[in-house]
Amino acid sequence: MTTSVDQVMVSVKEGSLPKVLDYLREAGLVVDTVLEALGVVTGTVEVRAIPSLLSVPGVLDVERQWRVQLPPY
Amino acid sequence: MTEPAEVETTGRFLVLLQQDAVEEGVAELGAIAGFDPNSGDLDPNTVQVFPQLGVAVVSADPNLLAELNGAAERPGPVLIVEPERVVHLFDAAPAEDPVGQADESVLTWGLQAVGADVSTATGKGVRIAVLDTGFEQNHPDFAGRTITTKSFIAGEDVQDGHGHGTHCIGTSAGPRKPATAPGYGIAYEAEIYAGKVLSNAGSGSDGGILAGIDWAVSNGCAVISMSLGADVPVNTPYSQIYETVAQRAMAKGTLIIAAAGNASSRPAKIAPVGHPARCPSIIAVAAIDVNRAIAFFSSGSADRIGQVDVAGPGVDVYSSFKLPEKYARLRGTSMATPHAAGVAVLIAEKTGARGFELWARLALSALRLQLPSTDVGGGLVQAP
Repeated sequence: MTTSVDQVMVSVKEGSLPKVLDYLREAGLVVDTVLEALGVVTGTVEVRAIPSLLSVPGVLDVERQWRVQLPPY
Repeated sequence: MTEPAEVETTGRFLVLLQQDAVEEGVAELGAIAGFDPNSGDLDPNTVQVFPQLGVAVVSADPNLLAELNGAAERPGPVLIVEPERVVHLFDAAPAEDPVGQADESVLTWGLQAVGADVSTATGKGVRIAVLDTGFEQNHPDFAGRTITTKSFIAGEDVQDGHGHGTHCIGTSAGPRKPATAPGYGIAYEAEIYAGKVLSNAGSGSDGGILAGIDWAVSNGCAVISMSLGADVPVNTPYSQIYETVAQRAMAKGTLIIAAAGNASSRPAKIAPVGHPARCPSIIAVAAIDVNRAIAFFSSGSADRIGQVDVAGPGVDVYSSFKLPEKYARLRGTSMATPHAAGVAVLIAEKTGARGFELWARLALSALRLQLPSTDVGGGLVQAP
């Protein structure tokens, strides 16, 4: 069993919040923030559970979060 | 032609290992890449292991990628293999270039180039969000301004310990007549929303950036200026989530303007527009210099996905900075972006346009340049 988790962002259909949150949590998402104006949920999930997030009704896309880094001056 | 795919990656591979089987995973990698995991002192140029993360970085002949991928597909300790990419915020390097022939005794060359000096618009009544490293709250040039702040970085307040954010706020919405010339702000009466989505060390992630966008949209900001992103290999698909977000923001009256990236080394190499500026519904801004030449570092339309939309002044840009420095001259598409965002605010004030109408007015009023559209899109943004 892996416990590898990843930070993800999930876009959902308009009007599907907040109901979709329950399904996302059931599918393994630990919700970080709910961005209501954008219809996006961010959180962490086990890497292997990402496909099951995609099959949640109301979910449009699931992507891993990028990190950005600015070198020092 | 350009070949950024090769140069955007390091030639090494990132390997995600099963967290409770790191040693087994490294052993499997050693069998493929030809090193002995039990040799005691592993050459860090060959393999680096981060046990807490369950990640290894491996140098391997590109021909071994298929074998590494095979290991990832089989059940076992090797989960995911990716080429290692150089990922960073579009940095602002200190400007080394001497000022051209521009007279900056009153206003910066950038403000003159976008025609801010001959525009009657001020940005009054329009909200602009700058999502960056925060804001220098003790900067004397902003005393008396209406500035709303919020930090999306855990453990850090909005105070800008880096300087990049304060520089971008200065260009887009700083003063025209500071105590010491030159003036450097375009929409100098705009209402500023300073969102900290990058830490004082200059790092952040999509989660914080999206939270900043949500905050700006919820507060009715007409324009979001984002001098950040990550370089990507040519033909990388744009983020569907950012594209959806940008469309929704635009439908609510918020236009997102982002830096194209600094990954080119012209003339040898033109790198593609980075993430998230490569999304079709986000305006990608390239950088030109005082002579209206494309900046050597400015990323361009190197594939059919990420297109440059407009250009702005992005070399030898003077603006506000964190204290005690107070001012700095920087270069980068990070500096071109707040020029475009400030001009968009002026257009929003003067015409009342929001969303896609604002995009259209910004792009169509740009000054055409004697440069390829693949480098500068519709040209140099112009104040109304």
